[in-house]
Amino acid sequence: MNNGPVLFLGLFASMAISWVTFVLGPLAQMGNLQPARTVAALPVAYPNSPPGLAAQGAGVYRACGCAYCHTQQVRPAELGPDLARGWGIRRSVAHDYIFDGTVMLGAQRLGPDLANAGLRMDAMAVLARLWEPRMVNNLDSAHSMMPSYRYLFDVRKIGRAPSANALPVRPEYAPPDGYEIVPRTAARALAAYVAGLRQAPYLFEAPPPPGTVYTNAPASGTNAPPDGSNATNGTNATNGTNGTNATNATNGTNAPLLPGGTNGGNPQSAIRNPQSNHDP
Amino acid sequence: MSDEARTELEASGAAPILCLFAGASLWLLLASILALLDSVKLHNAGFLASRPMWTYGRVHAAGDTALLYGFCVPAALGVGLWLLCRLGRTRLAGPVVATVGALGWNAAVAAGLWAILRGGGTGYEVFEMPGTVAPLLLVSYLLLGICGVMTFRQREAGPLYPSQWFVIGALFWFAWIFSTAGLLLLASPVRGVLQSLIAWWYEHNLDTVFLGFAGLAPIFYFIPKLSGRPLHSSYQAALAFWMLALAGSWGGIPGGAPLPSWLVAVSLVGTVLTVVPIAAVAMNLYLTVGDALPALDGGPALRFTCAGLIFWVVAGAQQVAGALPSVGTLTDYTWFTVAQRDLFRNGFAAMTMFGAIYYIVPRLAGAKCGAPDGLWKRSLARLHFGLMLAGVALGYVALLVAGVFQGVAFQNPANSFTAVMRGTMMGLRLSTLEPLLLTLGTMAFLLNFALLLKGCMARCRRESPAGPGMGKEGA
Repeated sequence: MNNGPVLFLGLFASMAISWVTFVLGPLAQMGNLQPARTVAALPVAYPNSPPGLAAQGAGVYRACGCAYCHTQQVRPAELGPDLARGWGIRRSVAHDYIFDGTVMLGAQRLGPDLANAGLRMDAMAVLARLWEPRMVNNLDSAHSMMPSYRYLFDVRKIGRAPSANALPVRPEYAPPDGYEIVPRTAARALAAYVAGLRQAPYLFEAPPPPGTVYTNAPASGTNAPPDGSNATNGTNATNGTNGTNATNATNGTNAPLLPGGTNGGNPQSAIRNPQSNHDP
Repeated sequence: MSDEARTELEASGAAPILCLFAGASLWLLLASILALLDSVKLHNAGFLASRPMWTYGRVHAAGDTALLYGFCVPAALGVGLWLLCRLGRTRLAGPVVATVGALGWNAAVAAGLWAILRGGGTGYEVFEMPGTVAPLLLVSYLLLGICGVMTFRQREAGPLYPSQWFVIGALFWFAWIFSTAGLLLLASPVRGVLQSLIAWWYEHNLDTVFLGFAGLAPIFYFIPKLSGRPLHSSYQAALAFWMLALAGSWGGIPGGAPLPSWLVAVSLVGTVLTVVPIAAVAMNLYLTVGDALPALDGGPALRFTCAGLIFWVVAGAQQVAGALPSVGTLTDYTWFTVAQRDLFRNGFAAMTMFGAIYYIVPRLAGAKCGAPDGLWKRSLARLHFGLMLAGVALGYVALLVAGVFQGVAFQNPANSFTAVMRGTMMGLRLSTLEPLLLTLGTMAFLLNFALLLKGCMARCRRESPAGPGMGKEGA
């Protein structure tokens, strides 16, 4: 190997093989993924583009480096206990990310996975965690190692009437009397983004566990017209906890993502189980 | 070739190479300080939490960027250019162009770090340099890389030494992966999870292939040279080189990634195949030096280089182990992988570069005034080595153990996530010593470097007849 051109060509070939395998091939396969058909044949395509405030919030998530502690990828059951911890109802797949501006899957878990944060928390809960992670009414979070992000909030004197956006906090974390904590736009955007994260509908590459019955999906799995009543069911179920002012608009748009609730083992109950202590 | 002629040839590259080394060591100091802040934040959540600029995610991104782009890449370029001159028995081609490249690179790193701390990072791990800075980085790199390739082309005829392959490989590799990542992540971003795929591919290639090549080049040169024994086998070196280029460039994708499973499988196969280059290099250099190593006194250069080699083998073996599905299930996303990357970058890449820097700098700085070896303060060099070795080893073991415990505890869903993380606290507290010791070690090195340059300048002035007022002192 004493010949410069041979060395160069060999290197070029090695590089080309790697490039074709890891860049060109996947680009050809997935470069133009379209919204998926869902198993439950919901009336809306999945996923949706995030609404404006949540898209802004993705920028805050990136700028604060949230992805250095939180992943957004749920592993399949055989590769880790992510599902058993209630971090999702199915594994994450490529389809879940096609409308993300910057995809931030994360590489390390210093905090819980957030791929389905929107199924566990509403925007107010996210804001409360940003103000003081140890404040959340959950025994476990008293020991959270997450820093607080108080620079995303204003503490200001209450005017004639309290602000509609003011954050309710426990007395030990409250500001002095006559002051209130008001999230800045960045905080509300971040909360809308996190509360909008959900990988809820079953897809053909991430099917429901065996035995799940769908009243609104034909057994053959083709995309027959959806059953309207069940779709409505799903909407109600998903929106149930999102009653806070900051994100009603946000959550409304990508609501009907869960399969209808007529099957016995409704996956949502696993997510919302109040006894599961796995919140951040 | 006489020593004087060789010194004179090598001195042609003094300005750009010293500029690269000086900038690199200053960035390393900053990287260690940022890593220290970062590490304290892990067990003291309120530490520096009130300002957006010092938030954990930004400090972490800036620290990684300062280490990789501030220290590793320019130090690798400096060492590579010097090796091409030395092994090709030629002058550095285009020293002015290379100096411009070195200055441009450092300016780009400064701008990029500032942008990251202000919240302008891209969001891709180890590719955080914003789109406004990345082109300047690439152009500066190309200026330096072209000088390297031109130097290689004007080499004296004769067989190539393995270190030359490794340097040339590294020069091309970074240009390819950096421009691919820049194009597909920043200039015209690809859709969805392909971004993560390209970011993983980039990070894996940057570590395993680029830094691997860049670090193995001085290892293959200095270990035989400073131990006074010929390299055992250049066939084994060629095997390691090609296997690293082929298999090392496949990998970096975690087992449960939301990607088609064929990609995960290909990544696994590539990573497992890197045992071949690891075994080939370890065996080759062991058979070169053998058990004579403890008796040798090669000074700081040999000590740092050997430590770097050992850490490369350990980090590589751990990478293979962590890629196996049975292990990865436990260790993915835990401190285990962080320990591996830290060992690779601080243990292998940084220590190998320092080994080369300890050898190269006196030959460049002292070349113009004929200064001999021994310009370094040996006590400071020893201190630097001790601090760095202790820091890297301690931090590695602490994070590795914390990672294994974290992974095992995480498997049982009955352990709440916070409880799992609480179990890693002792390891995290211990691992804070690593950036602390590295900061002190880098300070010792910078002091040594400054004293050396000062000594060289004083000597030059004494020896130059034109120096006003200095002639008497020298007489």
